[in-house]
Amino acid sequence: MAVAAVALMAGCASTSAPTEQMAVSKAAVSNAMSAGGNQFAPLQFKSALEKMDAAEKAMAEKNYELALRLAEQAEVDAKLAAEMARSAKAQKAADALQDDIRVLRQEIDRQSK
Amino acid sequence: MKKNRYLPLSLIAAAILAGCSTMPQNQSLSEAHSIYSSARTNPQVVNLAPVELQKAGETLNKADVALSKGESDAAVNQLAYLAKQQVAIAQEIAKRKTAELAVANASAQRDQVRLAARTAEAEAARRQAALAQQTAEQQAARDQALIAARQAEVEEARRQAAIAQKTADEQAAALAAASAQAQRDEALIAARQAEADAARQQAIIAQQTADQQAAALAAASAQAERDQALIAQQEMQLKELDAKKTDRGLVITLGDVLFSVNKAQLSSGGVRNVQKLAAFLNQYPQRKVLIEGHTDSTGSHSLNQTLSERRADAVRTALVDMGVSSDRIATRGYAEAYPVASNNTAAGRQLNRRVEIILSDDSGNIVPR
Repeated sequence: MAVAAVALMAGCASTSAPTEQMAVSKAAVSNAMSAGGNQFAPLQFKSALEKMDAAEKAMAEKNYELALRLAEQAEVDAKLAAEMARSAKAQKAADALQDDIRVLRQEIDRQSK
Repeated sequence: MKKNRYLPLSLIAAAILAGCSTMPQNQSLSEAHSIYSSARTNPQVVNLAPVELQKAGETLNKADVALSKGESDAAVNQLAYLAKQQVAIAQEIAKRKTAELAVANASAQRDQVRLAARTAEAEAARRQAALAQQTAEQQAARDQALIAARQAEVEEARRQAAIAQKTADEQAAALAAASAQAQRDEALIAARQAEADAARQQAIIAQQTADQQAAALAAASAQAERDQALIAQQEMQLKELDAKKTDRGLVITLGDVLFSVNKAQLSSGGVRNVQKLAAFLNQYPQRKVLIEGHTDSTGSHSLNQTLSERRADAVRTALVDMGVSSDRIATRGYAEAYPVASNNTAAGRQLNRRVEIILSDDSGNIVPR
């Protein structure tokens, strides 16, 4: 609320440095990285990385409003990349299992004949 | 997330304060609405990612509010983008959870399939065991049948051997019986033969006998006449011999006078009598004689005994001299043992001094004293 008050005082263009959002976004990107977003959702992951870079750059230029927006976008992009990676892995596991079952069934059919 | 809550607020506040443009239309926001609505109709997303979907909805509301309050395009676009991405996240989560459920289901399914496989294996093993059991039983049954067959064969062979033995025994017995029968028959035939021969012989003999009898009859007739003559002659001779018929047969007595006194010498008369006897004996060779010497009771017994024996011997010697075989003649000396008269008178004593000649019958038998 203090920040909001500050924001109210500062007017539309002037916002304080979004360091917390930056930290949250970085964590999300790193989380996406470890979840395999690089491999399973390269577009979203790359977008998150680029937006993160741009946010850093905006931070350096004290363009906090842009930095915030970019950081917010990088966070959702990274989250999406992480979820996509997780769902892809899960899907793969499910497919593999189905395959196993199919092979097993064939095996049983062959044995019982 | 706390920050997320107040950030839009600050944005809203900024938007309000800035009093920026109030454009009711925003393409980005429209797209976000469209995507959100589409996600809302997906039951997977609604059920599996409700929190994320709600978050997207809230962001979308903020975007709407920002738009209606005329905030900057950048602000609205930002919220619209965030909402759009949040919908996408909700969709991915729903997909992941669906896949995870599928994995869970698949695990269960796989377990079930494995169970089915195990069951099938067990069934197959049971079938095989049953088959093996059946096979073993069949084998056992076959073996048993085989053994039974062998036993039956052995039994049959034994039975046949017994039959053969029995037959052989019976044949041997029959052979023996036949042999015995043959021997009996042969013997019988021989006997019949002999009987026949005998019969024939008998017939011949009978014939001969008949002939002989006829001849004999003729001869007998002639013989009868001759016998008659002979008997008459014999009786005459016996009469001449002075033979007397007694219980012991014909007895000829040579009296004392035919011997020298107290001697064993025959007198001439005695010799004549003995000659007659010899002639008779020579005529009837089947007759034998027993010559007994007797004395009276005078003198010693030993003397009498000797005399009686010597007189009997004398007659015997005379007969032998006259051609009578010595084996037809037996002699005895009885001394004074058998008197025929009283020894008290001279006449009696003379009668007692004698030699008795007992003639046998025609068979040569003499009744002994």
